Amino acid sequence: MKVQCELCPKSCLIEPGQSGECRVRINIDGVLRTVVYGFPCSVSPYDPVEKKPLFHFLPGTKILSIATVGCNLHCKNCQNWEISQANPEESTAAYLPPESLVQLAKEHHYQSIAYTYTDPVIFYEYTYDCAKLARDAGIRNVLVTAGYINQEPWKRLLEYVDAANIDLKFISDDLYREVCSGTLKPVQEALVTAKATNVLVEVTNLIIPTLNDKPEQIGELARWVKTNLGGETPMHFSRFFPRYKMRNLPPTSLKTLDTAHDIAISEGLNYVYIGNILSKEGQNTYCPECKKLLIERSGYTILQNRLKEGRCPECEREIYGVW
Amino acid sequence: MRKRNLRGLVMTRREFIRKLIKGSSAILVGTLWLVKKASPRRFVRALRVKKYPGHLKSLKDIWKEAKWSG
Repeated sequence: MKVQCELCPKSCLIEPGQSGECRVRINIDGVLRTVVYGFPCSVSPYDPVEKKPLFHFLPGTKILSIATVGCNLHCKNCQNWEISQANPEESTAAYLPPESLVQLAKEHHYQSIAYTYTDPVIFYEYTYDCAKLARDAGIRNVLVTAGYINQEPWKRLLEYVDAANIDLKFISDDLYREVCSGTLKPVQEALVTAKATNVLVEVTNLIIPTLNDKPEQIGELARWVKTNLGGETPMHFSRFFPRYKMRNLPPTSLKTLDTAHDIAISEGLNYVYIGNILSKEGQNTYCPECKKLLIERSGYTILQNRLKEGRCPECEREIYGVW
Repeated sequence: MRKRNLRGLVMTRREFIRKLIKGSSAILVGTLWLVKKASPRRFVRALRVKKYPGHLKSLKDIWKEAKWSG
């Protein structure tokens, strides 16, 4: 008997013995099963939260980061394709049930756990159970995701999520289809839903030369974020490096990233950053009101944090974030 | 019993009610089918498996700095 997976908008109709597009949700004897539950392929104890990137969430803290193999998108430029596009049969993992993960996080005094590297959407049940236990233990949960998920499971998961960095890869449905085998609308809906809850949302856009680096494309994307998520939403423009099936394009130039930064600011976004590149000011947080420097960063390192109880020390404007 | 005319335009009250019930039932069933098809299916959690299909290592083998982005 075929089963239909209703987790993401792909709604895979899966034949017995076959998997969905994500490779990890399988029809076994007419029952939908996840083969990665409790089996992360990567557990990183050293990541700074700034690497996610999250710049407005517990700055300067380490975050326990986990991932399993698989992904429901197949981006031609994927930076982590060795695990995101891997078959579970050919991968290596460790057994780490939710109880053990949370216990580890407690023992090592982590304030938060990140479900990241591939996409927590495809290891949904594992993420959900870990997040629920972590919340009970006073540990915060962070998602780093492409947001390609149906609304019902998304809303259920968000109840246990404290912060999310969600990719808005393109503002064009055609590019989503061509480059990522996805669609734009579900991602936009996931962003709006997350923002409407208590989740701290930061948005990342990878700028790929010749695909989405035109000023009008960047302007349209920034306008969408401003209109639908609000000007307080932190926006990260990230540098592309040629990887996987997109090795024919050059890395994004610093000039293009700086231009994107300026466009987004002029469109009314208050916190705009550039990433995957060292920049003198592109990683700093400034007060939208008095323009004074609040957090100085170099890459993922905090050089100084002048915030006072989440407010600008000069004009006392409240700064969006979990501090 | 009243006779029908040649064109079949006249029917008894009983026949009319029977046809009305049949027609209404067909419309109701069709509408319910359409509503069921059009409404989003409820999400059902996937069940876990006992054995990982790939290679298993100990936690300390993967407890390390990730080379992955994100």
